[in-house]
Amino acid sequence: MKILDRLKMLSEGVVIAFDSIRVNKVRAALTILGIAVGVFVVTGMSATVQGINSGVSASLAAAGPTTFFVTRWPAAINSCNGSADSCPWRHNEPLSLDDAHVILRQPGIQSVIVHVGSSAQVKYRGNNLPSARVDAYTADWTEVNGGDMAAGRNFTQGENTDASAVVVINVALRKQLFPDLENAQAIGKEIMIGANPFRVIGIWDQTGSLFDDADEPKATVPFEAAYRKLRFGIRWLDLTVKPRDGVPQDVAMDQAIAALRVRRQLKPAQDNTFFVSTPEKVMELYNDIVGKFFSFMIGLSAIGLMVGGVGVIAIMMISVTERTREIGVRKALGATRGTILWQFLVEAATLTMIGAVAGLVVGGALTYVIRANTSIKASIPPLAIVVALAAAALTGILFGLFPAYRAARLDPVEALRYE
Amino acid sequence: MTADVRDIPLSTTGELQAVVGNVGAVPGQDWVIVTRGITRDYDMGGEVVRALRGVDLAVRRNEYVAIMGPSGSGKSTLMNLVGCLDTPTSGENWLNGSLGSDMKDDALARVRNREIGFVFQTFNLLPRATALHNVELPLVYAGVGSAERKKRAVEALERVQLKDRMDHRPNELSGGQRQRVAIARALVKQPAILLADEPTGNLDSATSEEIMRVFEELAAAGQTVIMVTHESEIAAHARRVVVLRDGRISSDERREHFVKRLEK
Repeated sequence: MKILDRLKMLSEGVVIAFDSIRVNKVRAALTILGIAVGVFVVTGMSATVQGINSGVSASLAAAGPTTFFVTRWPAAINSCNGSADSCPWRHNEPLSLDDAHVILRQPGIQSVIVHVGSSAQVKYRGNNLPSARVDAYTADWTEVNGGDMAAGRNFTQGENTDASAVVVINVALRKQLFPDLENAQAIGKEIMIGANPFRVIGIWDQTGSLFDDADEPKATVPFEAAYRKLRFGIRWLDLTVKPRDGVPQDVAMDQAIAALRVRRQLKPAQDNTFFVSTPEKVMELYNDIVGKFFSFMIGLSAIGLMVGGVGVIAIMMISVTERTREIGVRKALGATRGTILWQFLVEAATLTMIGAVAGLVVGGALTYVIRANTSIKASIPPLAIVVALAAAALTGILFGLFPAYRAARLDPVEALRYE
Repeated sequence: MTADVRDIPLSTTGELQAVVGNVGAVPGQDWVIVTRGITRDYDMGGEVVRALRGVDLAVRRNEYVAIMGPSGSGKSTLMNLVGCLDTPTSGENWLNGSLGSDMKDDALARVRNREIGFVFQTFNLLPRATALHNVELPLVYAGVGSAERKKRAVEALERVQLKDRMDHRPNELSGGQRQRVAIARALVKQPAILLADEPTGNLDSATSEEIMRVFEELAAAGQTVIMVTHESEIAAHARRVVVLRDGRISSDERREHFVKRLEK
């Protein structure tokens, strides 16, 4: 038979497959379930990972292409059990404001944003958030964070130096504190952070990301105000360093490292007592985690497909036995071994493809739920759909091969005599 | 490959000579069926059952032959060999010029598709397919395009007066109608032979007569028909009756002789 004729017989095989599914609903459902679970896991997970990926890329991109980070701790996954061996960085001197100033004095550096995150009670009249997130930044923080001022303005360098009691709140916090007001109407109101009154000067419409949920109420205050008025601890500072335009990242990084080493009087043989990392490095680290997570998921879904595959063998064996006579008739009428084999393979692949479609539908629903309820912009990558369908079809063909081969090899005389 | 008819060992009865004796014919021309000394043994759990013990049978184009015999006589085995569903343990069988005894599975399937239309006792229609689709099936395996397939299937159903029932499934048809669908399916590729295995075995006598009339019309129109049956009344519809006993041909004669012998 020619390829074209084979393809013509596809539709017949698909119809037969749907028919045998209709006749054996429970059996087919069990078979399909395994495949569906496998596909569901893969699509749900890859959609989530895809969403997280785009979030991570977006927040890293917001920081600017040459921006880098200086931290006391390394950008790596490490379990710290308290011993010196497991996390030597605990002995690193904390970063200080002076460190930031030293870096800022380097010729290639445009700005150094100092940040420390904490939480505090935030309230406005009756609206009380017992533990809202409060970030303390130096004035340039809007340059490295995704988003826009929805109303009002950011605090100035001067307000930071003066430790002015001003605050920029994000839209989520505005909704909590001033549910009845527009963004612009909240400007100028005085809210309480801890025991200190702060004046709202801006509403920040932030782009959410994996690291920074836009729906989380958040207040941003000048660093000095946080340090002096709110008594924020500053042992966990992190610095975001933005090089001047046209200065390559590595040049700026070398300047920052050299400056810090000099300030900390490190000898040439000594290691840095701080860590410098780039968005790429963070991305790499992140990809590494995601990769492990992903291979685990693929393992899980492979098990699903295996279970489904064994189900395919079972249901197809039964199907072949039940239709022995039909196979005999088809052979009597001129069906060759190849034709019969093809027919049953199409049937098996149809079964598993239905499972795959079911899995995709459920995975799609999960993706929608994730999108609607979290800041992860989950979406099923088109490739995942193709891969899921292909994997399902392959499973059907692989596991359907044995029953199909049995059918193809049936002796027509005996098959016709079969009761 | 051809063979001179003088090499064909004919049945021992003089009657066969009268019916088929046509010196000079070769398999594949006038002779659609030629078997030479075919035997078929079955291994039944270590015990060898000799179903056929050397059968020589020659059937010319346009003949209407009944193969008769009690159960166990080997008539079904003979039909399977003649129909290229099976190959003999020894001997040769020719079907319209093709040496079936030399063929493998797929080659046999193609010969069946090209040369034979089967009609079975239990109809053997695909239960989930319409009459039309059942009739189309041999054309599907022949690789005929769908438009052409439908046209020819409808024509075949017309020949058995079932065109108006073509969209019905087998369970919506009577026994006689089902068998006529099966006949349409057998005829759709204009086979060299219509091979019927107990075609009336599952039908009441009135319906049996109806089916026999269809066979007679087909034979009158020039279709070669070979029918296997254990009922002498049914066999008496054919023009030539071959009787098998214990795996051998015991008689091979014209209908008139057969009927006369029956009446004695």
